[in-house]
Amino acid sequence: MSKPYDVVVIGGGHNGLVAAAYLARAGRRVLVLERRHVVGGAAVTEEVFPGFRFSVCSYVVSLLRPEIIRELDLTRHGMEILPLDGTFTPLPNGDYLWRHNDHHATRREIARHCRLDAEAYEEYAMAMVEMARFVKPILGMVPPDPARLFQLRELLPVLRRFLRLPEADQHNLVQLMTVSAVDFLDAWFETDALKATMAASGIIGTFLGVRSPGTAYVLLHHYMGEIDGVFRSWGLSRGGTGGISEAIAAAARAAGAEIRTEATVQKVLVRGDRATGVVLAGGQEIAARAVCASIDPRALFLGLVGAEHLPDELVEEVRRYKLRGSSGKVNLALDTLPSLSCLPGPGPHLRGAISISPSVDYMERAYDEAKYGRFSRRPYIDIVIPSLTDPSVAPPGKHVMSCFVQYAPYHLREGNWDDLREEFGDTVIETLSEYMPNLREIILHRQVLTPLDLEREFGLSEGNIFHGELSLEQLFFLRPVPGWAQYRTPLRGLYMCGSATHPGGGIMGAPGRNAALCLLADWKRGRI
Amino acid sequence: MARVWDAVVIGAGHNGLVAATCLARAGLSTLVLERRDGVGGAAVTEEIHPGFRCPTVAHAAGPLLPAVLRQLHLERHGLALLRPEVRLLALDGSGRALRVYDDPARTARAGGLGPREAERYVELLTVLRRLGAVLRPLLGRPPPAVDRLAPGELLGLLGVARRYRCLPRRDRYRLLRWPPMPVADLVREWFDDALLQAAVAARGVWGGALGPMAPGTGLGLLLQAALDGQATLPAAFVRGGPGALSEALRTAAQQAGAEVRTGAEVMRIAVLGGAARGVVLRGGEEIASRVVVSACDPRRTFLGLIDPAELDPAFVGRVQAYRCSGSAAKVNLALAALPAVPALAGSAEGAARLLSGRLHIGPDLEYLERAADAAKYGEMSPRPLLDVTIPSLLDDSLAPRGAHVMSVYLQWAPYRLRRGDWPSRRQELGEIVLSALQDCFPNLRSLVVACQVLTPHDLEDTYALTGGHPFHGEGGLDQFLFRPLLGATRYRGPIAGLYLCSAGTHPGGGVTGAPGLNASREILRDLR
Repeated sequence: MSKPYDVVVIGGGHNGLVAAAYLARAGRRVLVLERRHVVGGAAVTEEVFPGFRFSVCSYVVSLLRPEIIRELDLTRHGMEILPLDGTFTPLPNGDYLWRHNDHHATRREIARHCRLDAEAYEEYAMAMVEMARFVKPILGMVPPDPARLFQLRELLPVLRRFLRLPEADQHNLVQLMTVSAVDFLDAWFETDALKATMAASGIIGTFLGVRSPGTAYVLLHHYMGEIDGVFRSWGLSRGGTGGISEAIAAAARAAGAEIRTEATVQKVLVRGDRATGVVLAGGQEIAARAVCASIDPRALFLGLVGAEHLPDELVEEVRRYKLRGSSGKVNLALDTLPSLSCLPGPGPHLRGAISISPSVDYMERAYDEAKYGRFSRRPYIDIVIPSLTDPSVAPPGKHVMSCFVQYAPYHLREGNWDDLREEFGDTVIETLSEYMPNLREIILHRQVLTPLDLEREFGLSEGNIFHGELSLEQLFFLRPVPGWAQYRTPLRGLYMCGSATHPGGGIMGAPGRNAALCLLADWKRGRI
Repeated sequence: MARVWDAVVIGAGHNGLVAATCLARAGLSTLVLERRDGVGGAAVTEEIHPGFRCPTVAHAAGPLLPAVLRQLHLERHGLALLRPEVRLLALDGSGRALRVYDDPARTARAGGLGPREAERYVELLTVLRRLGAVLRPLLGRPPPAVDRLAPGELLGLLGVARRYRCLPRRDRYRLLRWPPMPVADLVREWFDDALLQAAVAARGVWGGALGPMAPGTGLGLLLQAALDGQATLPAAFVRGGPGALSEALRTAAQQAGAEVRTGAEVMRIAVLGGAARGVVLRGGEEIASRVVVSACDPRRTFLGLIDPAELDPAFVGRVQAYRCSGSAAKVNLALAALPAVPALAGSAEGAARLLSGRLHIGPDLEYLERAADAAKYGEMSPRPLLDVTIPSLLDDSLAPRGAHVMSVYLQWAPYRLRRGDWPSRRQELGEIVLSALQDCFPNLRSLVVACQVLTPHDLEDTYALTGGHPFHGEGGLDQFLFRPLLGATRYRGPIAGLYLCSAGTHPGGGVTGAPGLNASREILRDLR
């Protein structure tokens, strides 16, 4: 029998791979087990139709922590981020709102809609950078346990930093942590489409509307991305999002980690109060001193560990943990570029994100429908055409178009997703056709992913792309559940390192890194 | 030379009177100025039809802070509290009537709940009482100034910390997890009974613009419950209506030595060298004082009564962003007789006894949420949440023998209508209420002698509730933690000698007297 592994990582998503890389670099013998045939989890590139390579789920990057890029030397391992140029919002009245990466062009464009807003935009951008700067160190923190007052002293430096901020920044921060995206933006802007488009990043991955309190935080969460030190710049990975996962996997392998695909973990082995390894679908047992799971807590605790090994309290908390997926994905293979009726023909506006978010009420009505168990008849859609930036992903002259669609509630009141998949796809195409009249004629293939598909294919419970909502009661020391927010679990040697842990979802890598560092610290102290 | 008062209080609402009493008792020469001809603000009893006197705005007195009752000896000044046998009767229009008593065991036994629900109800109340014991001391003191803690305050906070530590571990997490939650999710975790869910959730959303599915509404429930340890709205009435409470407060203030002048509208707060020096009345009369205490809402105080040149523009911007758009309306009915309630036909307890508390009309969470949805788009829901009292059942001084007054509070009527204006849609509002009451009170229409409709605009015009907001501004996480806003917390604003003591300050709305009491303590501390 071969030497037992130090750590088995369940799930080869980007967080699992980040954790594996850090563990391997620290000299641990690491094995990553991935159920699918490719690594990356929701950050994958797949050739769904011959010649067309899609970032099937996650499609843009920006949140990946710079320290991870640096420490794992991801650039050397093949990661390349291409900048995404701005956001273009077509409007039903034939006009549009175009935010470029070029600050001055954006200012001019916003001034076209509202002069005051152009000035406010400048101040807003500066304020948000300050906010992101404040929150950034918290991303790398292991949250203290709020039930132990003594541990809360770890928050004192944060409090001290808060008190040193100018009052205007304090006010903004308090607002960001508590109010809705629209309430927050209302204080700055007047242009409806501008507010709607900006507020959209406040609802991603939540089952909340742009007017629901708490969404301003999610807005900030999506603002914390940095590429080459520039806050709030989004990019595409060359070769699709899978390129990032490949680079992290390469870094992990280079550090000595072993990665096995098509290896489904069926059970976490538990002896007494500790995890001792895993059992694969074929029955093979793999022993390890520690197990690090990058899957969501419901799949882990109720699926792989089993309630019988866990305290009732944790089981109850995991059952009530809000996953509630709210989004779907439609990937299109196109014969040629779509043409927008408000700005026909090809052009730089197609190179950025195209956002179907014409007004705040439009966004809110989309949410209201989902609240009562229907997918939005006119959803919020975020579109990118990666083949314009990176022609390698489509045959010459052809294009791929990725559409992120919200709201698609996992729990439907009537019918089921298997029956409604095509109807959902049609709704998306119909909505898009209102802005892109030629779309129907140029579609060669379409792939529709409902929340149910995301669950089945990618193991995202209830189709939640962030392994659980980023709602206020599921953040920081309450993520994923109160009492177990420090990557550890009631079982010795069992750790969580997925998006369900602090600081949450997106291709950020921070949960994987924080968890690995926690595990290594415990290892050093002989707690494993 | 003109007289210089020690303190001038603007507004003789209950908070203004409580503050004035405390200041006068401490030996300060105190003048209260009231715009209307009577005192009471929103806690008044007015004749709506010859012989019929009705609580026109607030219809329950309380829960008054026990300290206010005690310290002001209100009972000696003629206050008689009435406690109905049934605290709340929840009707769902289909013949069900849920009875909530002050005694949880009685509710469990005789409330009409299933055995499991009954058990859970008692358990929830036990938890709410434990959490309330930690929160309550926070409501009776100004919010802590984290940056410069006075020794006395530090002791108080240590007391709170000690109580927190005495909580069972799970409760400590609840205290953190519940406030940011949607109250709908919270009640669903406890109950399956739709009517009970709605009746409890109603306490969380009461007075605000948000529906029960909006995050942060858990805080509303928790704070309200902290005052009396109950999960539903309170039913504490005053003989003679809330106006009698205000009269008792006026007597208390006068006996303490304060002067109360009605029919005196303050137009402006005189500011000299950055400090408040007095007020100017309509008609030009100037009244000088050492401090000015505003019992008006924050918006009116800072935007209406102060020359904008005296304030920092950034602060003005923040006051403008203060969410103060109400969604409350009142319909007050004079009835020839007590309406029949089919749901109570077979009840052993007399219908009159069962109806003497608060009546909740809103059968389930979705009904409530849909009513709130309409208001988001500036529309009125045809099926609003109604909170009804028939005060004449316990208090025969309000209506002729055999006749009754019914006070109906309606939530969500938006301050800003998308279509038409309030004067032209007042009738419609009355009609909506009568239709919504129809299911529970089939013969109501035939008994109506008179009907008074108070739209959000009427609340603003007549009772000086800016934006028609009954609580002088939304609750919510930010506007509770830093009420009303950063830069004006702890009853002090940016202008020296100007204090706030209204429901727009900590701990917020309701006829509690807490803001007035807390503010007076701060003022005295500053003057000493």
